[in-house]
Amino acid sequence: MFGASRVAIAVSIIILILIPQLASNYVIYVVILAMLYAILTASYDLLTGYTGPLSFCHAAFYGLGAYTSAILTLRTGMSFWLAFPITGVWVFLFAAAVGYPALKIRGHYFAVTTFFFGHFVYLFLLNSRKLTNGPLGLRGIRPPDSILGIDFSSLNASYYLVLFFGVLIVVFLHLFVKSRIGRALVSIRENEDLAESIGINTSFYKVLAFSISAGLAGMAGSLFAHFFRLLHPSTFAWMISEMIVIMALVGGLGTLIGPIIGAGLVTFFLELVRPAPELRFILLSIMLILVLLFEPKGLMGIFWRIRGEK
Amino acid sequence: MASDTKMIEKKSKKVLEVRKLTKHFGGLAALNDVDLDVSESEILGIIGPNGAGKSTLFNIIAGFFPPTSGTVMFKGKELTGLRADQVAHQGIGRTFQASTLFKQFTVFDNVFNAFHMHYRQPPWKALLHTRAVRQEEGTMKQKAMEILNFTGLASQKDKLAENLSSGYQKILAISIALATNPKLLLLDEPVTTLSPHMVEAVMGLVTKVRDTGTTVLIIEHNMKAIMDYCDRIAVLAYGSKIAEGLPREIGENKEVVEAYLGVMG
Amino acid sequence: MLQIGNGLIIGSIYALVALGINVIWSIADVPDFSQGSIFVVSAYIGYFTVTWVKLPFVLALLAGMCVGSLMAFTFERFLYRRWRGAGRVQLLCAIALFFLWSNVVNALWTAKAKIFPAYLKGSLLGFSYMRLVVVAVAVILFVLVYIFIMKTKIGKAIRAASQESEAAQVLGININTVNSVVFMLGGALSGAAGVLVSPLYAIFPTMGDLPLLKALVVVILGGFGTVGGVLICGLGLGVLEALGAGYLSSAYQHGYAFIILIVVLTFLPKGLFGKM
Repeated sequence: MFGASRVAIAVSIIILILIPQLASNYVIYVVILAMLYAILTASYDLLTGYTGPLSFCHAAFYGLGAYTSAILTLRTGMSFWLAFPITGVWVFLFAAAVGYPALKIRGHYFAVTTFFFGHFVYLFLLNSRKLTNGPLGLRGIRPPDSILGIDFSSLNASYYLVLFFGVLIVVFLHLFVKSRIGRALVSIRENEDLAESIGINTSFYKVLAFSISAGLAGMAGSLFAHFFRLLHPSTFAWMISEMIVIMALVGGLGTLIGPIIGAGLVTFFLELVRPAPELRFILLSIMLILVLLFEPKGLMGIFWRIRGEK
Repeated sequence: MASDTKMIEKKSKKVLEVRKLTKHFGGLAALNDVDLDVSESEILGIIGPNGAGKSTLFNIIAGFFPPTSGTVMFKGKELTGLRADQVAHQGIGRTFQASTLFKQFTVFDNVFNAFHMHYRQPPWKALLHTRAVRQEEGTMKQKAMEILNFTGLASQKDKLAENLSSGYQKILAISIALATNPKLLLLDEPVTTLSPHMVEAVMGLVTKVRDTGTTVLIIEHNMKAIMDYCDRIAVLAYGSKIAEGLPREIGENKEVVEAYLGVMG
Repeated sequence: MLQIGNGLIIGSIYALVALGINVIWSIADVPDFSQGSIFVVSAYIGYFTVTWVKLPFVLALLAGMCVGSLMAFTFERFLYRRWRGAGRVQLLCAIALFFLWSNVVNALWTAKAKIFPAYLKGSLLGFSYMRLVVVAVAVILFVLVYIFIMKTKIGKAIRAASQESEAAQVLGININTVNSVVFMLGGALSGAAGVLVSPLYAIFPTMGDLPLLKALVVVILGGFGTVGGVLICGLGLGVLEALGAGYLSSAYQHGYAFIILIVVLTFLPKGLFGKM
């Protein structure tokens, strides 16, 4: 990494730390949302950007995580601090069980299957009234219990909580993709046959990437559940999966930082067009088509072009 | 080629034993009861008209798909039933018919990535990028450079693989396979479409690889390369082995000439 | 009996959409999600043709098919064609179009469901005439497509191209023409399906989601089979769903397709009739 990008990252983190002291509650709220989306796009990037398989069900794991965490704390009185890691592990294992047969299917078949899966999870959340309270939504979720005297029902504390775990997850993903495991994933993306011929167990690594990506989305869901304290299945419908895909593509897949920037920009863009809600997704899909037409590598592609690389 | 003949005479031990290998695709038999023995440190050429089953044979040996029946033994160990990556771990490297490379990577990264199975540091340490892990990666980088020096690609190391000439691409494919440290190397059409000058270069490299103790199997249509550089040749036609022997014998074999002329002429 | 009959009716709708998607997928290598949008837009076009312009149902059907064709032609000509061979970008584009039109329809005509005026009152053996008309039209369209693909020169080119992308050129037909024709065919079929279901159910912006998903399941289960294979899979899925809803649980009626898909793909990765 060159020095300039380190400085940029340090400055962004300082700004993120200072935001609650400087900005209005509305801005804090939007930034929390953006950070949750950033966790989703960064984890999505691990699978689709680094490893290759195109997935359209990331919001399903986000939803599974949110509902798991909410139900665990509501039904058993479990503390968020325990439910949060349990949720991550559970969604990881669940994804491994789904991903193992599904990832044997290559190419478009896998992508279409993930689309179905996303819809299936949505139907499940909507129809399992006893468990999820169906279309009425799940209410009364408690904020994380206070530790060290910090009361997490306040907006500022929630903000720092999401920021803390967001940074932790992104650092983890960064270390992961820069390691030899990350190189194995990229080899699979570049050429699956060749990757196998050099001894990479491609199905293992694909399931691993799928499950980690899902587990992290589940953890984002848990954070969401205990911050908003109200869940509805429509928050996790296929449109949201599409939105995550668009955010990641706008930023630039396979770069980690790109999808994070994409999540931030698209979230703020969506806030700008809030007065015309019916236009939001229309503009978003046009944005995707424009990216595909003019710069499939997204903002990072434009950035590289300006710097004269590649 | 006198030294090569000497090596055969030594009757050195078998590395690869293929027995009654059969593969059906739907109703079609791509391979039919094929037997093949390969001795240590020889270069065995496999020739035959298109659709003879040559690539199918490679794909089965390398674990890319299972045979319908029959077995493949490598150094006395059964390979059938292993996945491709497990076969690679056994010490078999391969190249592919088309220039199959990590096209968006630099030449150096192509080879460096291929060291995947030589890391000994545990994965969780790899995630933490500990000092030992960084040292290990340093060693792998050195070894990758050694391979590039050996194959003559060192001067190209920072180019993207897709920007290489087709000859260099074929050499890079061999370099990647060498990074797995193979005892047996399967080369699928390593010199097809190359200029005579590049054919010499690639086949010279293959000989150099063999001299380090690696056994080489080559599928190739370039008869001159096969005749000049192979110790022995096996001929496949319509999924069956129709001949096997020294290059001189194959060149005089009527059945072989007919099989070739019959299809190509 | 009634359940099987209703299953066959909805199954024929799945089969119609699936047939178009099947041909497009095998020629252009893209699971064309935008057929779902075409389905919806055509349903609205059919509705307006009947209620505003006050034309008979047959013309509404034709109008829906024309609009469907035109939409699919436009998508292929100006978008998919740019990325021929790059399946991943095409798929992303297909999803983007589906996403786009779902929201455009929602913005134009609001989420409130519209009800088609009643036609052809009366029934036969417990099935309203309208339902029987739907099945009859679907069968006629299937026969027409079969004749088109088997007997015409362009049909032969399509069959050749689905095996080998350069094969059509040998028959002297430009691959661009083949693509245009295939997309227009798919659009017309999805358009017809959209208009045909409208009198049976309500018309609303997300009405295309489930038929699209089911049609994709049918295509995958059929493993790019023949015209007949698509029909059998479509009808079969419709019947299974109707029986499942009747005897198991109706809450998961739309989940059965997914379960069948996962089970079949786990054991038969190439589909039921399949060759990939």
